[in-house]
Amino acid sequence: MIARRSVASAVVGAALVFALPAAFAGSAADPGVSATTIVIGGTSPLTGPAASYASVARGAKAYFDFVNAGGGVSKRKIDYRIVDDAYNPAQTVQAVRRLVEQDKVFAVFNTLGTEANLAIRDYLNQVKVPQLFVASGATTWGRDAAKYPWTIGFQPSYAAEGLNYGQYIARTKKQAKVAVLFQNDDYGKDLLASLKQGLARSGSKVVAAEPYQVTSPDVGSQIAKLKASGANVLCIFATPTFAIQAYVFANRLGWKPLVINNAVSGTSNIMVLASEGGKNKLVEGTITTTVLKDPTDPRWNKDAGMKQYRALLAKYAKGANPNDVYHVYGMAVAYETVGVLKRLGANPTRVGLMARARSISSAKNPFLLPGVSVKTGKGDNFPIQQGQLQRWTKGRFVPVGGLWTSKRN
Amino acid sequence: MVAAAFSDFMQQVVSGLASGGIYALLALALVIIHRSTGVINFAQGEMATLSTYIAWALIAHHGWRYWPAFVGTLVFSFVGGVGIHRVVIRPVERGSVLRIVIVTIGLLVAINGFVVWEWSGEPQQLQSPFGTETYDIGGVIVAAQDIGTIAVALGIVLLLWGLFQFTKVGLALRAAAVNPEEARLVGVRVTWMLALGWGLAALLGAVAGMLTAPTVGLDPNMMAAVLIYAFAAAVLGGIDSPIGAVVGGLLIGVLLNMLSFLSQYGAFDWFTEELRLPMALLIILGVLLVRPQGIFGKPEVKRV
Amino acid sequence: MTPRTQRIIGFVAFAAFVVFVAVLPSFVSDFNAREYSYVAIYLIALLGLNILTGYTGQISLGHGAFMAIGGYTTAILMAGNEQFGGPMAGGLKDVWTLPIAGLVAGLFGLAFGLPALRLSGLYLALATFAIAVAMPSTVKRFAEFSGGGQGIQLFGIPELTGSISNVNVLGRSLSPNDWMYYLAWSIALVMFAGAWLILRGRTGRAFRAVRDSETAAVSSGVSLARYKTLAFGISAAYAGVAGGLFAIASAFVNPDTFPVALSIFLLVGIVVGGLGGLSGLVFGAIFIAFLPLWAQGQDLGSLLPGRIIEETQKPGGPAIVYGVVLILLMFVLPNGVGGLFRRIGQLITNRRYSRSK
Repeated sequence: MIARRSVASAVVGAALVFALPAAFAGSAADPGVSATTIVIGGTSPLTGPAASYASVARGAKAYFDFVNAGGGVSKRKIDYRIVDDAYNPAQTVQAVRRLVEQDKVFAVFNTLGTEANLAIRDYLNQVKVPQLFVASGATTWGRDAAKYPWTIGFQPSYAAEGLNYGQYIARTKKQAKVAVLFQNDDYGKDLLASLKQGLARSGSKVVAAEPYQVTSPDVGSQIAKLKASGANVLCIFATPTFAIQAYVFANRLGWKPLVINNAVSGTSNIMVLASEGGKNKLVEGTITTTVLKDPTDPRWNKDAGMKQYRALLAKYAKGANPNDVYHVYGMAVAYETVGVLKRLGANPTRVGLMARARSISSAKNPFLLPGVSVKTGKGDNFPIQQGQLQRWTKGRFVPVGGLWTSKRN
Repeated sequence: MVAAAFSDFMQQVVSGLASGGIYALLALALVIIHRSTGVINFAQGEMATLSTYIAWALIAHHGWRYWPAFVGTLVFSFVGGVGIHRVVIRPVERGSVLRIVIVTIGLLVAINGFVVWEWSGEPQQLQSPFGTETYDIGGVIVAAQDIGTIAVALGIVLLLWGLFQFTKVGLALRAAAVNPEEARLVGVRVTWMLALGWGLAALLGAVAGMLTAPTVGLDPNMMAAVLIYAFAAAVLGGIDSPIGAVVGGLLIGVLLNMLSFLSQYGAFDWFTEELRLPMALLIILGVLLVRPQGIFGKPEVKRV
Repeated sequence: MTPRTQRIIGFVAFAAFVVFVAVLPSFVSDFNAREYSYVAIYLIALLGLNILTGYTGQISLGHGAFMAIGGYTTAILMAGNEQFGGPMAGGLKDVWTLPIAGLVAGLFGLAFGLPALRLSGLYLALATFAIAVAMPSTVKRFAEFSGGGQGIQLFGIPELTGSISNVNVLGRSLSPNDWMYYLAWSIALVMFAGAWLILRGRTGRAFRAVRDSETAAVSSGVSLARYKTLAFGISAAYAGVAGGLFAIASAFVNPDTFPVALSIFLLVGIVVGGLGGLSGLVFGAIFIAFLPLWAQGQDLGSLLPGRIIEETQKPGGPAIVYGVVLILLMFVLPNGVGGLFRRIGQLITNRRYSRSK
């Protein structure tokens, strides 16, 4: 039943993608494509409360610069334009309209932020411009592909991630009492909802959940309330700044739960900061999930992909911090983009781009963990549906179990 | 159960006093500047952030130890504050209120931009010299950081009070703020005193920032909320009263934590964490409407 | 130069401006038309702020909050909030929501204006700043009513004229961007005329009296309470209409679309543009709409030499430029650009009377 519905929606989605209005038929080349360049653009919070994510765009740009230095794709250089939206969706709307109507980009790419992408999704689908590889894990990018055929995500969905945390707790801690700190938007709520799903039919449950805003000064009082609930597991569904604070405040209150940190903040450079120079022991044993190779993990010291990562960053993104794993994400998504563009061939079209983006089968992304594949197809609109649980042990991440795979989302 | 609630309560009081101490320092900075130059410095938070980044850079990039970096930052901040007054504020000091507000806003934007430009928006960590230990005092778990913060804040306030009460410079500062014309007549170099006020305010902000960063993390927008709480404290205590700033800061720190604590219980559960900042602003509005001079201030008399 | 001649010149200049606005879209790209409609939106907000600050001398750092009230009124009237659990069904066409947006915001302005009577100068600036900061959190708190953090999407709904297809107006077919441009500018020009009418009459004289000296005004029988509160209400109504248009132009509202920065930029726009005349306010609106873009090296900013662009392109660079430009402008043009225009105008018209200065 589910499979049939997905097939039906995929067929509808494909039909919508291929149903071109008269205006496009007969045009020689789509906007943004010239004999020598392909122009793509996206917004990134270069300033404002989410400025730590700017490295995503930076990593992607470094990879494109590398590809361009080698001649580009099908003899065209990739011109990737990054515009600041300061995490303000109204600015995102204006900036994206400018990219589409003035700069005439071929596709809108790697735009960061769930709210930002929600703000522009209707517009982009209306004007039939690809909203490619959205930098957000909200489930809606994959789940609503039928309604929004021009939009596709990239990273594993928060729903898949939360589900896995729930299942992990259910497996390993009997009758656990779980407290959750979550950002009060789609990202945080997605994680919370699927965590609860993962805990269903086990003895463990969520006993307290405290929201915070991106504009909150600190989460001290939330942590205090969560501690007061008597929980022995703390799930941090927060962005880096607040995740670090959660560790600091919990430690100060003398609370020592098992901590589950979400992928967005569960990167080793953030964990190091949270350890307060090694004095905060609460970080020890933290569980998180990832699909990216961690630049500080000695396992990848001789890995070809990470060697390339460090070399490219040093050459094309001077001053960038190589330990910031968001750069790795940027390169991973840029790698797949180049793959899709290559398959497009000598005459790229927007329709063709989306068709290729919905039929990816890539298993050798040098920046993703071995075994993680990037795959889309009929009924599958989530490019990455795998992850690796890992535990922070004595200053680095150690894998827990094998790769998990999410079938539904 | 009651014991647990009580120790939670005391914990909130202590951490409320610690954050209150930080608000008090920044509020004191605002009060000094307002008293001496009549300006509300919207850039006070950003100046504090800049100072904190400098401390961090000295430690993380240049290998300084903590206390030398602390002192070095204070010196730099003081000089910077004096410089900002002489270069940016003095030309517009006597002009319209509007102009002054715009200039301090320009400072806010430019300084915030500079911090991002120089050190990027990535979160960083500034370690505190007080460590992460916690002490169990009669069942209440108290963090060394909180105790250290309260101690430093009190210490600086006392030092400042000593400066104002017992030194010639302090006397000159007070004279210049209260009655510049007459102060000039007795030989006080008023312009330098006003600049000195800005220097002291910048110094206070630097301390506030360095006490804040270990807890909430160092990033360019770290002081934005603290500034709002500091405004609330300054208004509550009386925008021209240094004692008011300190008392106001401590009150606000403890009050907000009390509301958080009480929100677990039925009557107060409307107080969600999203309302923390609006609550501080409600205090600002409330005080300004009911008793604009604050607890310790004197009513403003307008001359015809 | 008699006042009558001045007024005639004023009319002619205004008429010329109207003609200019009307034909501009034919000379610029379709996309630019949408960008210029934002100038009109900011102009409406500045017109209101001008009445408050320029004419009664009350400083507001919170007009972004009134824009938010207007914007959300428009969004909720159009799309409803039943999907969040709220009581409103929506369904009102975008244009008709604007007067209501203005009214609602204006009522809030009156409500604030009354207690604000007790505040002056910096204290009022602080109080209004408090409102601007509190607005996003408050909107999120009442998520059943406002949609909370995820906001309200307006793109493509039938109540939004001209998001998808061309709009037929008076027999001509306008592209969505042109439609937005003409909608915003016609409202802006009408509201300018409205402001002019208000200000030249008794109300305007009362406003000016309040600004020049409150105690003198009171002694000549001007009711401070009435006129100061009225000014707040009117300026908030203007901001509300601007907010409604802003919601329509962005086709999306959420708490972060009306951040504190917006309130600050509005005040900046007024001061940089210069309080008083239309030319200054238009310049102020252009400043708000375009300086951030220029500082990022886009549009006109691309004319700057490459080396400068490179350094300022680093995140934070545009903000440094913006802040420094603001400070320098306050040194050099204390009365804003409008003041500069006025001085030039005076020099031209008062040539004969320069001796009697």
